Amino acid sequence: MLVLPMAVPFVVLVIAALAAILGFRRTSVWVWFIAAATMAYSFQGHITDPLKIAL
Amino acid sequence: MPALARSLNALGLLGVCAALLFAFYWQIARGELPCPLCLLQRAAFVGAGLGFMLNVRFGSSESHYGVTIVSSLAGAAFAARQVLLHIVPGTGSYGSALYGWHFYTWALVGFFLIALFAAALLFIEAQFVEGVRESRPSVAAQGLGWLFVLVVLANAVSTLLECGFGPCPDNPTGYELLRK
Repeated sequence: MLVLPMAVPFVVLVIAALAAILGFRRTSVWVWFIAAATMAYSFQGHITDPLKIAL
Repeated sequence: MPALARSLNALGLLGVCAALLFAFYWQIARGELPCPLCLLQRAAFVGAGLGFMLNVRFGSSESHYGVTIVSSLAGAAFAARQVLLHIVPGTGSYGSALYGWHFYTWALVGFFLIALFAAALLFIEAQFVEGVRESRPSVAAQGLGWLFVLVVLANAVSTLLECGFGPCPDNPTGYELLRK
């Protein structure tokens, strides 16, 4: 399974914040969606690994 | 009423910036590097701040509040996961405590309060009458926005230095890109 670099959500969020400050409102919201997806993807590895040990 | 909503959103954005800057101060002054789950919580704080920033910059919109509330819920899930990892006695903890609570516990409370705050702001219905505007914002709104952008950028650079171009170790001991 592809492991996402931890910096990816932050880089995407920088783009979202820059889009907002430069006046691109809708673009900013769409880029935030991508950032949220990268966060969810990074999180799923952490939610299952320790759980497998606990179970 | 729209002015009140904008001021309260600016207050929320300032709060998020303060939380991120304090975590950053702790990282640099105390030398405690954030773990992967801690970084995800920071990213969720940034997401919550982005929603407030959009409201300050463009005027209030339901979708902006959606960004804040969904980010807060995601952040609460990340923080709750970390609390659960250490909830069993003897499993230790990560990082030092502040006033008796670890940062992930504070983050859990913080995310809950942000979601509650954003939900409460939705009750100010008059803020939605104006609709969003694409015109140039005030100097104060623009300044606050740029402060937020700088904080996010600093977090991105710090995470890149700490983790490099891969996943972060569970207990990071140094900045990956600064190792010789």
